[in-house]
Amino acid sequence: MKFIVSSSALLKQLSAISGVITSNPVVPILENFLFEINDGALKVTASDLQTSMITEMDVEARESGNIAVPARILMDTLKNLPEQPVTFSIDEETYTIEISSDNGRYKLSGENATDFPRTPEVNDPYGVDVPADTLQNAIANTLFAVSNDELRPAMTGVYIQLRDTNATFVATDGHRLIRYRRVDVAADMDNNIIIPKKALNLLRTTLPSGATPVTIEFNASNAFFKFNNIKMICRLIDERFPDYENVIPVDNNNKMVINRMELLSSLKRIAIYANKTTHQVRLKITGNQLQISAEDLDFSNEAMERLSCDHDGEDIEIGFNARFLIEMLNNLDSTDVQLNLSKPNRAGLLIPRDKDENEDILMLVMPVMLNNYV
Amino acid sequence: MNGNKSGVNGAATLRKIIHVDMDAFFASVEQRDNPHLRGKPVAVGGSRERGVVAAASYEARKFGVRSAMPSSHAYRLCPHIIFVKPRFDAYKAVSRQIRKIFLEYTPLVEPLSLDEAYLDVTQPIIGPPSATLIAKEIKQRIREETGLTASAGISYNKFLAKVASDVQKPNGLTLVKPDEALAFISQLPVEKFYGIGKVTADKMHSLGIKTGADLRGWPEAKLVQLFGKSGRFYARLVQGIDERPVTPDRQRKSVGAENTFSQNLLQLEEMQAELDVIAGDVAERLHRLNQQGRTLTLKVKFSDFVQITRSLTLHQPIKEQEELHRLGCELLEGVDLEEKEVRLLGLTVSNLDLPDANGQLSIPF
Repeated sequence: MKFIVSSSALLKQLSAISGVITSNPVVPILENFLFEINDGALKVTASDLQTSMITEMDVEARESGNIAVPARILMDTLKNLPEQPVTFSIDEETYTIEISSDNGRYKLSGENATDFPRTPEVNDPYGVDVPADTLQNAIANTLFAVSNDELRPAMTGVYIQLRDTNATFVATDGHRLIRYRRVDVAADMDNNIIIPKKALNLLRTTLPSGATPVTIEFNASNAFFKFNNIKMICRLIDERFPDYENVIPVDNNNKMVINRMELLSSLKRIAIYANKTTHQVRLKITGNQLQISAEDLDFSNEAMERLSCDHDGEDIEIGFNARFLIEMLNNLDSTDVQLNLSKPNRAGLLIPRDKDENEDILMLVMPVMLNNYV
Repeated sequence: MNGNKSGVNGAATLRKIIHVDMDAFFASVEQRDNPHLRGKPVAVGGSRERGVVAAASYEARKFGVRSAMPSSHAYRLCPHIIFVKPRFDAYKAVSRQIRKIFLEYTPLVEPLSLDEAYLDVTQPIIGPPSATLIAKEIKQRIREETGLTASAGISYNKFLAKVASDVQKPNGLTLVKPDEALAFISQLPVEKFYGIGKVTADKMHSLGIKTGADLRGWPEAKLVQLFGKSGRFYARLVQGIDERPVTPDRQRKSVGAENTFSQNLLQLEEMQAELDVIAGDVAERLHRLNQQGRTLTLKVKFSDFVQITRSLTLHQPIKEQEELHRLGCELLEGVDLEEKEVRLLGLTVSNLDLPDANGQLSIPF
């Protein structure tokens, strides 16, 4: 079997899907790309068993055939070749691959394509179309808060609730929770799925910019994302997501509005002086003034700043992990944000003041108990 | 800062731990505030038939009156004993005063109760460069600021510091130096060891283990076989090794209330009514601590002192009296009350919204 393809065009397609491949896969053949040639079309698959990515491109080929090609060597070769047509000659008996270019010839040994795990097919899928930039936003707004705790698998992915009037994306690591809702994405059937973190990370890096439509289809065990000539299939997390609506407080009547960038910069400075394990900062709101402070007793470091804010409610003093607040504020782009509090040991809510009419963002963060020495 | 290796031999950094224990705390506060009580045998606690002595003055102790003793027994030992109702607000005020003094010397203060605390003064904030001098200074200041006396024990771990504070009482100061530790432990009766209560002590006595020296003669494996995991802990203590760090801000793990009735309860309706009162107490405590929990435990003690508990865990935290009462009654329905008299009922809420070691609270899913 033989085919000819542009080195840079192939590299571009391989780069889009190579992120799936892990350095030490459970099955060694997963260190390969699966090449399948059919009627002048090359289909390449990369997989880690949980997630698979597939891309298709046209090549010059007279015959059909399949082969597994070592991913690392192939990518490195293509990266270092100047753009030119390269010829792949495959011996289907010995699985030897020979690449010829203007510069010379490279020989490597592949593996039997039939050993490559089969990618699941869509059976009775159920789908919804989302513009790429909308999906990109939803991922960016939630992914950072996903848990790494393997003991609570439900929380290691983003929970997506599809409804007839909206779609809600939820992520939590047990200390904070992000609820990102879109009213411009809707489905005609209610559905709840949990997409694993790795799949979303891959999507984030491969999704095209702009409003390119992304088709999301899923069945009980897998989700399929299709855009341009790329397809991603991932196994869903088959767990019950925590009952998140019940933990979002509704009576946080202590409301403070403040400029997001001012708060963010101040927190970044104060955090330098906070304890390196707890990252604890103290927010003290008195009247229309917010005092942010931190101390690290081990090094006798301390810092304090005062910011003005609009405050409606009683004076309050509450501790937070500075890194959580910084990450959350970084992910918003509203000029002003609102922090709704109730008590020093109850969840706080961070909400952007100005937002896209189609989106609704709510960030919940649990406080850190301040060690008030009697 | 915490948890330095602290064995007798080859220790890298020896810690300096002080255990401060107020002398006959409740009784001393009462004698301080009421001159008529000074020099007299005083017991703080309920004098009624079912009352218990919460604390006894040194004058009362001479007659053998001890804390946790039934009041009726105390009367028999010392007929002219004066019973005083406890005033917890007054004790708490003193407790805050002394804790404030401790915290001037070190942030590593672990209160054990209102009148006892461990201090790690390996790296004190202020004060003289010796743990003994710091202990002296603290005792002096407690005396000046509260008018009460305390006893202190100083050593390189919590176990030895605590035993040391009990050596000379009242108003004592005892130092156990690392090179004296083994000899000190040798003469120590086993019941003075941390974690050895009456039951374990009786078991040890029956095996001929009366002192630290006796205990040291037993191999660790044998102790583990006899006393389970604690056996290993005892084997280390007897070598003078106790690496438990002084941990400030001891976590409250549960909030509860119970009531011993002056007359045993026979009717379910009576018990339900009493549970409502107890639920009210628990709800109030939860409210004061701004806490809620997901596990509710019912405790029932019968007239024959047999005690049982029943508990349930919920998805959502609870804190309101009505809920506590309703669920408490549900738990009570699961108890076989046939021909039984109930002497005590209690409700405890646990599984609280607790912060982790860094103080970070979790979402109550």
